[in-house]
Amino acid sequence: MQLNKRLLKNLDYILIIDIIVILGLSLLVLSSATANITSDPLYFVKKHLISIILGIACAVFLLFFDYAKVVRYNNYIYALLIILLILVEIKGITSHGAQQWINIGPLNFQPSEFGKIMMIVCFASYLVKRQGELKTFKDLIPSFLYFSVPFLLIVAQPDLGTALVFIAILFGMLYLAGANPKLLAGILFTGVAVVTLALVLHFSPLNFPLPLEKHQLNRLIAFVDPYKDPHGAGWNIIQSLVAIGSGGLLGKGLYHGTQVQLNFLPEHHTDFIFSVVGEELGFVGAAFLLLLYYILIVRTIRTAFRSRDLLGRLLVGGIFSMWLFHIFENIGMAIGVMPITGIPLPFMSYGGTAMLTNLIAVGIILNVQLRREKMLF
Amino acid sequence: MSTYSVEVRKRITFIFFALFFVFFLLVLRLAYLQIIKGTWYQQKALENRIREIVVEPKRGDIYDRNGNELAVSINADACYAVPAEVKKAENVEEVARELAEILDMDQEKVYKLITQDQHSVWLKFKLTEEEVKKLREKNLPGIGTIPKPQRFYPKGNLASHVLGFAGDYNQGLEGIEVAFEEELAGINGYLLVEYDAAGHEIPESTKKYIEPEQGLSVVLTIDQTIQYIAERELDKIMQKHSPKRATILVMDPKTGEILALANKPDFNPNEFHKYGADVRRNGAVNDSYEPGSTFKIITLAAALEEGLTNPEERFNDPGFIEVDGERIHCWVQGGHGNQSLSEVVQNSCNPGFITLGMRLGTERLYKYIRGFGFGSTLGLELPGEATGIIVPEDQVKPVDLATISMGQTNSVTPLQMVTALSAVVNGGKLMKPYIVKELRNKDGDVVKTFQPQVIRQVISEETSKIERELLENVVTHGSGRNAYIEGYSVGGKTGTAQKPAPGGGYSSSDYIASFLGFAPVDDPRLVCLVVVDSPKGYPYYGGTVAAPAFREVVGDSLRYLGVPVRYDEKDKKSDEEMTTVPMVINLPVDEAEKILKDAGLQVERSGSGDIVYGQVPVDGIRVKIGSKVLLQLQKTEELQDGERIVPNIKGKSMRDAAELLGMIGLVLVPEGDPYPTGIAVEQSPAPGTKVPAGEQVRVKFKPPSAVEIAP
Repeated sequence: MQLNKRLLKNLDYILIIDIIVILGLSLLVLSSATANITSDPLYFVKKHLISIILGIACAVFLLFFDYAKVVRYNNYIYALLIILLILVEIKGITSHGAQQWINIGPLNFQPSEFGKIMMIVCFASYLVKRQGELKTFKDLIPSFLYFSVPFLLIVAQPDLGTALVFIAILFGMLYLAGANPKLLAGILFTGVAVVTLALVLHFSPLNFPLPLEKHQLNRLIAFVDPYKDPHGAGWNIIQSLVAIGSGGLLGKGLYHGTQVQLNFLPEHHTDFIFSVVGEELGFVGAAFLLLLYYILIVRTIRTAFRSRDLLGRLLVGGIFSMWLFHIFENIGMAIGVMPITGIPLPFMSYGGTAMLTNLIAVGIILNVQLRREKMLF
Repeated sequence: MSTYSVEVRKRITFIFFALFFVFFLLVLRLAYLQIIKGTWYQQKALENRIREIVVEPKRGDIYDRNGNELAVSINADACYAVPAEVKKAENVEEVARELAEILDMDQEKVYKLITQDQHSVWLKFKLTEEEVKKLREKNLPGIGTIPKPQRFYPKGNLASHVLGFAGDYNQGLEGIEVAFEEELAGINGYLLVEYDAAGHEIPESTKKYIEPEQGLSVVLTIDQTIQYIAERELDKIMQKHSPKRATILVMDPKTGEILALANKPDFNPNEFHKYGADVRRNGAVNDSYEPGSTFKIITLAAALEEGLTNPEERFNDPGFIEVDGERIHCWVQGGHGNQSLSEVVQNSCNPGFITLGMRLGTERLYKYIRGFGFGSTLGLELPGEATGIIVPEDQVKPVDLATISMGQTNSVTPLQMVTALSAVVNGGKLMKPYIVKELRNKDGDVVKTFQPQVIRQVISEETSKIERELLENVVTHGSGRNAYIEGYSVGGKTGTAQKPAPGGGYSSSDYIASFLGFAPVDDPRLVCLVVVDSPKGYPYYGGTVAAPAFREVVGDSLRYLGVPVRYDEKDKKSDEEMTTVPMVINLPVDEAEKILKDAGLQVERSGSGDIVYGQVPVDGIRVKIGSKVLLQLQKTEELQDGERIVPNIKGKSMRDAAELLGMIGLVLVPEGDPYPTGIAVEQSPAPGTKVPAGEQVRVKFKPPSAVEIAP
């Protein structure tokens, strides 16, 4: 297939510029956040830049294929996803109490990151086939079953953060596929109610057993009251709030955030990169970044609604759900309105697999934009 | 686009609004954190990384009135333990045992200290070189030494009751050290150091240093040399009479400045822990005693001022006086018979003074008792000033009035007595006693000067003059003869009071012997009180126990101060005891010595040479037989007015050195390691050096065992 000028005209350049600005900002902030980690102050920035270049290459490469063809490979992708997740379970490298990494030759990557995009792709194809059959709870059961296999493998790692992203993708895509919104809301509400009840019972004298790790429970307690254990579970949230709050209106300046540079803020180049922005660039910088993300999200959902078919809409809608959850959860935990889960901030956090995944996602969005009109040859 | 169904449009609109709303909430939250609570979080971020390290200010020094150091702060090694590190030792008990041995401390106490649940503990301050060396050799786990500013008193026991002492943490605990704590202590400084999350100091971080404000130095009114002379005399009293305690106070009567304040037994403030509270008590200010006959000075002043008597009035003493039906005896069996007021004073005649007291009556006598400052504090800067105990006026019965007139019943402090006599002899002004002359900052600039203050005029100039003369007679002809000083006119009064017995009444064996006097009579420069509490054996009289010490202190001090010597025919003692100093200037030394020895005088050489260039005292002066004459063997023509030649002090005792230097008009600064005792071994300036009068001569003394004395 060829890319002619007429197709390129369909691209959403606002979205593209928005992402470029975010990526530029990420390089800048990362250079500050990682300045003191290794002897080469630009070591992480270089690796980050390589991931960006690689990701852009992947995205451009994807543009040459009509996204509609993905339906043909649907089952293969689904199978590959499950195999990768099982591989992690068997051969995975343990990190932070969860098995999330596998090594292939010199590369090590997180299948659960790729898993999100693979899940979106297969689930979109799956839902297209079930178009118009999502009215009742019974109608939804096959979709849930299809979704649950990879989902449960993720939970087993255990990777609670990614599992939550999967749930966001599931409901977002079902909604866009035309499922009854009231039904979806009911299910979601029931789920939240059950989890809340379980938690309440757990902390009540009954001590109801929960399938959660100790550190995950502690994070929940710390979210409610960080000062209960300020040097333990509450440390991250307190230091993040102090970092952001002390940034004030204009920030302390790049490379001058004391919370970051003196390591009071943990994981500041990955999960807490937003706190670095808050501290060093202040309210102006942080609000600007929020604006960039707002544009990203709005232009993405706009693409979804302007796609030529349901497949395009579901593909982009899945990515939209994924990003939205990542952004809200990551920034929410940094500013103390969400409990802490290890979810990176798209395009900002350091992490090769996540960057590749997100840029592939951009490739998919652009692909859908390119072919938003039925081609009339 | 136009193909959107209504349903889809609704969903799009909803999603856009929902997104905008949620993003808006996030921005609001950000604004709350960064703009509204920004300052609070900035403080938190600061607290995270900045630790304050207290920088102790240097405590101000204490100087005597001439700038001699009496208390200084210098860095000394202190031993500390880090219990967490000590725990790593295999045998903590063993560490405690070794430490106890090195530091000469109780093993159990050491064990408790080094196992305390604290980051670090101090074990001992002011370590000796030996201790530091041993600690370094042993290198015990968790035990270290660090220099810490600590208080040193270079003169040892000298003026210990005035200085008091500062504790291990440089906090003033007694004496001037506590009274001027605020001024001496200074204000803590801070070093703000930046730390990272792991607790490492940030090497190139900007450190903020808030400089400590150094403490002010206190300049006392005390004169080191007079203080030294007073303590020397107290030592002699302690040796000779073994009293419980003894006190000497010297005041400048014109200003109220305290020139010397000494009590024995005393203590070494460098090792204050070794002494009990009783020894550290400053009796001169904190304790009261029944003054006995010295108090008659007050009765006399009151009676003269009220015009109830005059020096020519005659009194008859049959040996007793009846008051309110009770017979009060004179201390002389059979009484003094017919005598003038002057003789009443000379004889310290009890019926005479009781007569004066009765004439005054309680009200008028009390007006003067209170007027001279008794029964209340005088506002001296030293802590714990006592008021004494004055029987309330309305409870004074005629018998009490009689005993009060002769110095019994009421009790007073030594400070009050000295201040009162100062008022009597200085023209009638009660001066506020003070012991701090000025405060100086670290650059030595005076920041505050304390001026003499008149509390009130108690008696007239005229009365003061009459009483000075009456008191002079006590020394020239009366009970105070032992206070006579060659070359100076002296006035004063002896006192011998029985001590109140524990069960009431008076003890028959315990006395307080005292002498209160002043000199010179026509222009008093010094008032001095010597109080000896419970001297052992006989005689226990003020005239025999206290007066000689007064003579030595005031005589040496007046010479040291350069008060001109003056002889008055009427002051002379009987001619047999006295002789005239012959002229020996320009004679060869040997010949001069022979002439002086023939005249019954002793010889002291100063400098080396064959010819006598100068002599002190000069010829024609009447002195007691056996007095010393100083021969200056250096050329004196070159000496300008007011210049002196430093004599050779080596081999002399401290007393002789003080006397010799005092005669020439130089100031002895005794030094020693740690304290000046024994015989002079070094001096500075060297013998023969020309110096201005009043210059200090530093002399190092060593105990004789440490000195090789040529046979």
